Amino acid sequence: MAPRNATASSSRAASSSISRPVKSNGNAGPSTIRNKKRAVQEVSEDEDDEDFGAAGSGIDMSDDEDAEEEEDEEDEEEFPEFDSEIEDDNEKDGDGDDETEEEEELDDEESGSESGYNSSDIEAMYGEVDEDDDQEDYSPITSPSSSHKELSTDEKLSKMIAKNSIKPDDSLGTDAKISRAKEGVGRLVPSKLVEGGYKREYDDYEAGYGSESSTEDNPNTVGNIPMEWYDDLPHIGYDVNGRKIFRPAQGDELDKFLSNTEDPAAWTSAEDRLLQQSVQLTDKELDIIRRLERAENPDADYDPYQPTIEWFTGEGNERVMPLSAAPEPKRRFVPSKWEHKKIMKIVKAIREGRITPNKPSAAKPTVYAIWSESDQSNLQHAMYMPAPQLPPPKTIESYNPPEEYLLTEEEKKEWEETDKEDRKIDFLPAKYDSLRLVPGYKNLVQERFERCLDLYLAPRTRKVKLNIDPESLIPKLPAPKELKPFPISTSVAYRHPESSIVRSVSTSPDGLWVATGSEDGIVRVWDLGNGREVWKWDLKNGAIQHLSFSPYKDECLLIALVSGKIAVLSPVALVSPSVAANTLTHANTAFASSAATTKIGAGKDIKGVESIKWVRPNENERERGVLVYVEVPGTPKQVSWHRKGDYFATVASDASNKSVLIHQLSKHSTQSPFKKLPGQVQKVIFHPSKPHFFVATQRYIRQYDLSSQTLVRTLQSGVKWISSVDLHPRGDNLIIGSYDKKLAWFDLDLSNKPYKTLRYHTKALRSVVYHPTLPLFASASDDGTIHIFHCTIYQDLMQNPLIVPLKILRGHKITDGIGVLDLSWVSGKPWLVSSGADGEVRLWCS
Amino acid sequence: MAKIKRKGESGAAKNYVTRNQALKKLQISLSDFRRLCILKGIYPREPLNKKRANKGSSAPATFYYHKDIQYLLHEPLLVKFREHKSFAKKLARALGRGEWALAKNLEDAKPVARLDHLVKERYPTFTLALQDLQDPLNLVHLFSTLPTNPIPGKTLVPSSVIAECSRLISEWKVWAIRTNSLRKIFLGVKGIYYECEVPGQGGESVKVRWLEGYEFQQHVPTDVDFRILLTFLDLYRTLISFTLFKLYTEENLVYPPPLDVELDEKGESVGAFRLVEKKDNLGVESSKVSKKAVRKAIRGIKASTGDVDADVEMDEDEQAGNEEDDEEFVERPTKSGEEVEDVATAPLTTYNSLLATSSNAASTSKQNLLFSPYTFYLSRETSSRTWEFVIRAMGGKIITSLNSPTPSDDSITHVIIDRPITVERMREMENGRKWTWIQPQWVADCVNRQKIISSEGYHPGQLLPPHLSPWDGEGELDRPWLEDQQNAAITAAQEEADQEEDVIEQDAPEEDESEDEKDEEEIAGSKYPPALLASSLDPENVSLLHAAELEAEQNGVSYSAFRNQLKEAIKANSKDGSTKSQVGKKGGEEDLRKIMMSNKKAKLYEKMQYSNREKAAEKENLERKRLAIEKRKRKEARA
Repeated sequence: MAPRNATASSSRAASSSISRPVKSNGNAGPSTIRNKKRAVQEVSEDEDDEDFGAAGSGIDMSDDEDAEEEEDEEDEEEFPEFDSEIEDDNEKDGDGDDETEEEEELDDEESGSESGYNSSDIEAMYGEVDEDDDQEDYSPITSPSSSHKELSTDEKLSKMIAKNSIKPDDSLGTDAKISRAKEGVGRLVPSKLVEGGYKREYDDYEAGYGSESSTEDNPNTVGNIPMEWYDDLPHIGYDVNGRKIFRPAQGDELDKFLSNTEDPAAWTSAEDRLLQQSVQLTDKELDIIRRLERAENPDADYDPYQPTIEWFTGEGNERVMPLSAAPEPKRRFVPSKWEHKKIMKIVKAIREGRITPNKPSAAKPTVYAIWSESDQSNLQHAMYMPAPQLPPPKTIESYNPPEEYLLTEEEKKEWEETDKEDRKIDFLPAKYDSLRLVPGYKNLVQERFERCLDLYLAPRTRKVKLNIDPESLIPKLPAPKELKPFPISTSVAYRHPESSIVRSVSTSPDGLWVATGSEDGIVRVWDLGNGREVWKWDLKNGAIQHLSFSPYKDECLLIALVSGKIAVLSPVALVSPSVAANTLTHANTAFASSAATTKIGAGKDIKGVESIKWVRPNENERERGVLVYVEVPGTPKQVSWHRKGDYFATVASDASNKSVLIHQLSKHSTQSPFKKLPGQVQKVIFHPSKPHFFVATQRYIRQYDLSSQTLVRTLQSGVKWISSVDLHPRGDNLIIGSYDKKLAWFDLDLSNKPYKTLRYHTKALRSVVYHPTLPLFASASDDGTIHIFHCTIYQDLMQNPLIVPLKILRGHKITDGIGVLDLSWVSGKPWLVSSGADGEVRLWCS
Repeated sequence: MAKIKRKGESGAAKNYVTRNQALKKLQISLSDFRRLCILKGIYPREPLNKKRANKGSSAPATFYYHKDIQYLLHEPLLVKFREHKSFAKKLARALGRGEWALAKNLEDAKPVARLDHLVKERYPTFTLALQDLQDPLNLVHLFSTLPTNPIPGKTLVPSSVIAECSRLISEWKVWAIRTNSLRKIFLGVKGIYYECEVPGQGGESVKVRWLEGYEFQQHVPTDVDFRILLTFLDLYRTLISFTLFKLYTEENLVYPPPLDVELDEKGESVGAFRLVEKKDNLGVESSKVSKKAVRKAIRGIKASTGDVDADVEMDEDEQAGNEEDDEEFVERPTKSGEEVEDVATAPLTTYNSLLATSSNAASTSKQNLLFSPYTFYLSRETSSRTWEFVIRAMGGKIITSLNSPTPSDDSITHVIIDRPITVERMREMENGRKWTWIQPQWVADCVNRQKIISSEGYHPGQLLPPHLSPWDGEGELDRPWLEDQQNAAITAAQEEADQEEDVIEQDAPEEDESEDEKDEEEIAGSKYPPALLASSLDPENVSLLHAAELEAEQNGVSYSAFRNQLKEAIKANSKDGSTKSQVGKKGGEEDLRKIMMSNKKAKLYEKMQYSNREKAAEKENLERKRLAIEKRKRKEARA
């Protein structure tokens, strides 16, 4: 019995391995019917494998009994003996299985008590279904197990076993053919190779239509080759037995033609390439051709509209292909215990009324006391800018305004023509006799909308509203009447014939004479007090560019500039004899020393002054008061005396590097201080106390130290084109006038940039002059006005100079766009002499 | 070594973000951002240097303050927006799938964004809320007048919103009537402006002005984006309802006041609300402090208006000390036994009965109201919405054409009528009673002047005197002649009572004569008394004017005559002065001082001068037009 035990144990192992899924099948939920089926299928397959193994191992042991049994079994059933054996084993080891069954039931009870479901009910339900299935599908297979019914003491167990014996393919009849081999078609023949073994022999297949060999009725075996290879040969190929097939007799073309015309079936025949003869096509073949021509399916039996058989789709045909062979876990089809517990809790709560379903949540009241008395605004933040309120309506908006508020026709037209955004008022004022006549306002919605847009789209900026009196912006300055005396009005006018433009004016240091240089080329000297012309000299060399009295009081020297020449004049007849003598001595000493009428510039060693000649005028001229001529290159434009009256500097145009020259009258010498000029020099000026020299170019003023021959500083004027410069008599302040209407005040101790830039003239400034002694300065401009300023310069360096505008002097007429050209203060008195383009020179007195 | 400063890490580049950056940061759509900005009150800023703020780019951009956006980041509304977005998606999905039950469930659990916290955040104190109440009232009123059946493509305002708006505005008016806080009214071209004085936090009173359009169908332009307006409206509705709650609670009233549906359907506007007083003592006690404040505020108002007799104030001052009187001031319900929460069961007081009930509590203030002694009958063509509100707020009683189609009540004192009516018809309707027939403007003018003015010139069919704005703002013209006319009218009316009406006729030729004589008068300046002359030389000087008035009184010159004299004198002097100033060249000196101004100051000065000149020119233009009109009128009168 040992071998039997062995098989039994092995089969038991098999059964125990099977039992679990079977057990689980019993509890399957309704949705897992298919799964269950699949599981069954798996199980059965597994079983087969095991059976093969078992068969392999136990063949010799079960030779007689099993073989006999096998003979009894039906042929279709492959290995029914193992099934029965398993059943036997199950029966024998029923105790063990029962135990598991009991356990299962216990489990069921437990789960049932907890989950609230009765699993047995479910099982019963599915059990019925299973039974049905069994009866319908599995009956032919399950029936052979004769021992089944005898052993069916336990209903469930038998069902389970029945399920196990299901062949998956049988449930789906379509697979029957495929599984033919498994069904045991064929005979078992004792094997020749294995002793005592068997082999299965199958019948030969009968090749039917459709199989490849069935169409092989062609006797020619040459295959698919070009038949022209046999063209030269008497045969056309070989038959199966290797004999030649001779070319059939072929008629000539005429025969062919005749056969075509005579034979009615000729057109239904085709040339057989291999046999080289025409073959009559059968009706079937012709039908195929016809179908192909019509683009139909060549198969006549083919039904394109046959009903669809849903093999894999539709209800009940789903095929589940498991990705893993793992058995379906229990949680997939058992309702969750915890969920159920939770639900039961809720149900209980609802029953007890603790929970009201669909009750609206307790919301906050729509309004409540949001503000209290203790609220504090924390809106002192710099970025907090509340939206500005709309301004209150004005009377103009009234439905019944005073009549003057209504717009006139022109105003109405203007209102309509201006853009909507630019209008001062956004409505047309109207007057209605009574309130009932007032129409609805059309733009109300639009206005509200625009206000809303403003509120969230308009950037807000904090604008400081200046609530100051505009007058407070004007600087506090002493009143002009406190700062008297200063020139106020014209007292004397010096009229020039033909109104020739007076370019330059100068007053003598003793304050008695006024010299003017006009464009007619005549230097005139006038009596300051009464305006009488007392002396004149025609230089006959074009317009007088500039003239200037020497500031030295003991002499009466006047330098006038014309094109290419500097003339040193002296109205000797007018002055006292001592002064005249001083003057002549000063001017003529050099002639005496050189004993020549003509003297070439003393600075011969200085390169580039060779062309400058000091010329002694003739006797006649000398008697009239012309002392020296200095011939210089270019046209000298300005002369500037040194304080002591010996040196004077000239600026000439068109003289390249010799435009700035410094002359010494006592020695009749000329120096050119600059080898190269920094730009177009406008004006030059001597410092009153130091050996310094100021050169004004177009934009800058450079201060040079003449003794050490160095540049002290460069003043940046900030103007575009300097027209005039003057230095304060104390030498630490400087004013410039510019053609771009500006006057700049430099404090030389303070900075290289202007302390103040004033712009009050409407046209270019022509001249700016400090009073030599009084705290006054004046500026003249092309707008025909002269501005008088007071300027106090304090000793304290920390205190800024006080500049007070005092007076605007009007009187000069503007001629050809030129107004006042030159100014000169009368020394010691608050009087001003001005020359204009209208040919007038005026003396302005306080 | 100092820390290296990198570009874009401080200053304007850090302080400002563009709108697109903000959108990216907040991860919301532009429309959501717009809504958020509106609700949170965030607005763009103008950086001083745009290029620097835009990190070197000069492309046009809208800038926001960086911290504003930072605050938006943790705004609870943002979460609500996101919730709503996902809700909308779910709902659309459910509807698309035809899952109606699910859709209904979703709809029931719809996320609702509440704006309470925004109200408190934007207006930390009640006073601030009141100060910003103008725009909300304007907009809410506008919406209350929109058509309730939405015009497709134009307005898609739900009718419920419109109904709520009209409810809010009515509640506001009911409150104003109850507290008699209306101060000013102005009938404009755009609509009617009202101004109320509302007690804010700590009793400081805030003036709230709002505009109501006339009762016509609103013209809705096509380019108005109602989504923006509705977003604003959401906030404003919340703000107003909270404000009203506070105001009603201060008055010890239940908010919201229940609406009497019957009256409402009859067409009553403000009268349809029933004011219910609060019953619970707890509420009273908690609001005890605020009561004091309210009373203080009321006293403040009285002091400012100045037409309250002093002894009443004294009484109130005495009361202010002890608490028991305080309790009395709070309108305590008669039966305080049961706590009546239900509004329906509480005793209702309609507005008609309110005047009577509240008279015992606040009788002192009521009696001093402008229209307390009068009963007005509103003719049917007048807007009851406006005049009922105004008259009731000023303490008057009202009978509308709704109650009785023709005035028949004996208590009527005034009939407001806005159409021409014959004297015979008037007498016939009066039927022996003495009524004052007036046009609506009379009411407005009375309110603005805080006194009952003569009805002369306001009778039906008469040409009305001009209606002036009660807010004398900048650029308003002085109109002393109007005062004169008014005074003349009053005196005329007084004299009319006992004399004939030839006074006005006498006045007119006098004026003409004075006009003719003017030339002579100008030459003979010495004919004016010295004080008058001095006053005319310096018309702004009040003390001189006073002296001149005294002098005139001594001389026995009437006030109107004195005014005429003064005017002429001023005119004569100004003519002289203008010639003098040209000669004297006073301006020349100032011109010179201006030379010394710095560039910056000079520009500022020029700007100020420019605006002053503009204003002066405007004034002058008005004056010129007025004179021309007067001249023309005189000529017409003469012809």
